[in-house]
Amino acid sequence: MSEEKKKKAMNRLKTMYPLRANIDQAYERSVEATKAGKPTAWSMVNWWEADPILKAMDIEIVYPENYGAVCAAIGSAQKYLDRSDAEGFPTHMCGYARNCIGYTAEMTELGHIPSDAPMGGMSNPILLLSSGALCDARIKWFQSLGRYLDAPVWTVELPHPGVEESQMPGVREKSIQFMVKELRELVAFLERLTGRKMDWAKLEEITDDLIEINRIWYEINEFRKVRPCPMHSRDFWSCMNASLYPAGDPKVSLKLYRDMYDEVKDRVANKIGAVENEKYRMVFGELPPWHALKIFDELAERGWNFVVESWAYHAPKPIDYAKISDPLERVATQTYQWLTGYFPDALKEKEYMGYFAYPYLEWARTYQCDGALFHPLLTCRTATNHLILAQDRLLNKLHVPSLIAEGDIVDLKLFDYADTMRKAVVLEEMMDHYKKVRQEEGFEW
Amino acid sequence: MTAKGKKGFARAKELYQDRSQRAKELKAEGKKVMGYFCLYPVLELFTAFDIVPYRILGDMGEPITKADSCLPTIVCPFIRSALDLGLKGKYDFFDGVVMCHSCEVGEKAAHIWRIYMDPSYYHFLDTPHTVHEPAQQQFKGQLEDFQKTLEALTGKKLSAGKLKDAVDICNQQRVLVRELYDLRKSDPPLISGTEIIEVMVALMSIPVNEGNALLKQIIDEARGRTDGPQKKPHRLLLWGTVIDNTALVEMIENAGANVVMDDTCVGSRAYFPMVEPTENPLDGLSRRYLVDIKCPRTFREAVYGDPKKHYIKDLEHRFGYLKDYAREWNADGVILQSVRYCDIHGYDTPGLSDYLNHIGLPNIYIEHDYSEGALAPLRTRVQGFLELIG
Ligand code: SF4
Ligand code: SF4
Repeated sequence: MSEEKKKKAMNRLKTMYPLRANIDQAYERSVEATKAGKPTAWSMVNWWEADPILKAMDIEIVYPENYGAVCAAIGSAQKYLDRSDAEGFPTHMCGYARNCIGYTAEMTELGHIPSDAPMGGMSNPILLLSSGALCDARIKWFQSLGRYLDAPVWTVELPHPGVEESQMPGVREKSIQFMVKELRELVAFLERLTGRKMDWAKLEEITDDLIEINRIWYEINEFRKVRPCPMHSRDFWSCMNASLYPAGDPKVSLKLYRDMYDEVKDRVANKIGAVENEKYRMVFGELPPWHALKIFDELAERGWNFVVESWAYHAPKPIDYAKISDPLERVATQTYQWLTGYFPDALKEKEYMGYFAYPYLEWARTYQCDGALFHPLLTCRTATNHLILAQDRLLNKLHVPSLIAEGDIVDLKLFDYADTMRKAVVLEEMMDHYKKVRQEEGFEW
Repeated sequence: MTAKGKKGFARAKELYQDRSQRAKELKAEGKKVMGYFCLYPVLELFTAFDIVPYRILGDMGEPITKADSCLPTIVCPFIRSALDLGLKGKYDFFDGVVMCHSCEVGEKAAHIWRIYMDPSYYHFLDTPHTVHEPAQQQFKGQLEDFQKTLEALTGKKLSAGKLKDAVDICNQQRVLVRELYDLRKSDPPLISGTEIIEVMVALMSIPVNEGNALLKQIIDEARGRTDGPQKKPHRLLLWGTVIDNTALVEMIENAGANVVMDDTCVGSRAYFPMVEPTENPLDGLSRRYLVDIKCPRTFREAVYGDPKKHYIKDLEHRFGYLKDYAREWNADGVILQSVRYCDIHGYDTPGLSDYLNHIGLPNIYIEHDYSEGALAPLRTRVQGFLELIG
């Protein structure tokens, strides 16, 4: 009976299923390809900056961050975490990194992929591609793998200017050119490493597909501003991977995102919500508790519809890339746009954390949110250090209250389901109260 | 005796105990005082504009009460402490603040600082992560922008000549700090690790030329002193995160060793690299700050673009200078210390430990939470380590 009710409360997109299946198959194909001897790079998620280059050179990409999530989800991470500790790495470090370090130490010791490695494991890479995007772990973690692997490490730069500094004359151009120069060096390096030549036409095609995927994905998410919101965060998380990096064939992904666009548009036209009786429109902050996703069903029954989520996983605000002929410059521009696209608006509001924190403010306003649920990940500083600020800004600027429910990326037990539900009920009272406050103060919602 | 009346070590101690005293005096005389975070806001630029540079530090003795309302507890306690002091108004005498992308938390804290404290002048330097030629050019461009904002603030155009003079003054300080560190080479050293912290913190609280005068007094005093440190069974090198308080070094020195050399950013890491004279001083400055400051926050590889990788060569490239330090200062052990939640140092410790083992230097890793009260358990570990190395 309650199962039925849960299914009814959340209305998942039909087009999500083939897209999700495509992402899963891409992972499986990648494991097969690397086992068959295809050169593999381990890569930090780098927001389109370097992955298209690897893909154009037919290098298989494996994401140890994702592998950390996989190991955690099926309960296999603990032995790798213990191994990382035993290797002398501090325990406070990123859980995904510790999982990877433990895994790599074991693989090196055995001389092959551990036979019990989840989902076929990660095979020996020819390259470790670290990224300057967002956190120190993305650089330092791969550098530290030098203890175990013979693969060289390459670090891709990504400038992170301050909000006001980014608007100084020439900063944007200089930053993009800097990225382009670094990417050119990366191409030359990959050619030396693999003995292959860069396929520039292929790079152009992949880049164009990725830009188009992200434009459509952005538009899909724009539809979520409508009442009732036609797509729930769960569908967002199920599908985001294919937009964040070229998982599988971008052409297939593009078609599937187009199908999704049509379905969401149709829902908007017919006023079909992702949740029956949408009562509270919610922001979700950071990655969800993967093992406890049923909390969203329970909250959906109470009329909570999660209409937007963390900035880092969203597509950049679309701009015109047509005039940029150099594919490397397109790649750089898209990544830079993702990082700084909200900065001009943030500056107008004197909000100086233009990514991570400010987008919550803009979205809570434009998606007309009643509240936010933040899920800080205790070993991930990047996913956590802006949340108190975001909470403060939402409440004090928009009268949007929020709840912080702690969890972790790898130690899934840290998330307290029952306690979060108890707090959610209290948050409802606050959301009702602040709705009145907003109305009294002339807010639109 | 007035504050200005004290000299040498006594003056350094006085400044260490009351850091802002001199900066506030100078402010009262009409000078601008600028807070800066980490090592990357270029001191020469402040100096060339006659601005008093004042390094933002924390306070291990002060409980963090206010910072928790804007930064979670799972991040670097040093940064939380610095932010806490700011929120409590202890840095209200600043005329502005220059922050940088030191590490990821440093970058976020920089933006948080601006939002909550709203300084009338603020600049953020986005220090690149690599040392490649394009990164140096990028950093140089950032220094040009930084210079422009200082020109707008002061209403003065900066000439290359003035900047070159500032490079000279700052380089003089670096030479003097080296001279001071040389006094730690004898056995017993002429200056203790604890005193060094006091001197370094003092230097980071006053204008560079005053620091130079102070250093000369201290060097003279140390050379002639009879009340210096005692000979101890061990001579240690201390590596790791920022140490701006004497408590940790005091604990180590009380456990039976002299701390004779350090690699921290309130120590040699901040002062040893010199600026090479270049036609455009910003070339030398961008190189010195980005490339020559050896902080684990920056990625560096043994041979740029080498598709082959060699672990020991890589370690040698990243940490080889510590071998030189250990040899020159005759250290028989290394303490790797880090505040909890510091990722950039945390990831480096096993590799550094590998390197030290490779060159036969005993080492130990200790972690603390940047609080004077919580150092006691570490004392036992340090004692155990000293016993181990014999
Ligand atoms: S610290 Fe966070 S963002 Fe960085 S690698 Fe780990 S999980 Fe990813
Ligand atoms: S101690 Fe580490 S985390 Fe703290 S400011 Fe320094 S580098 Fe950043």
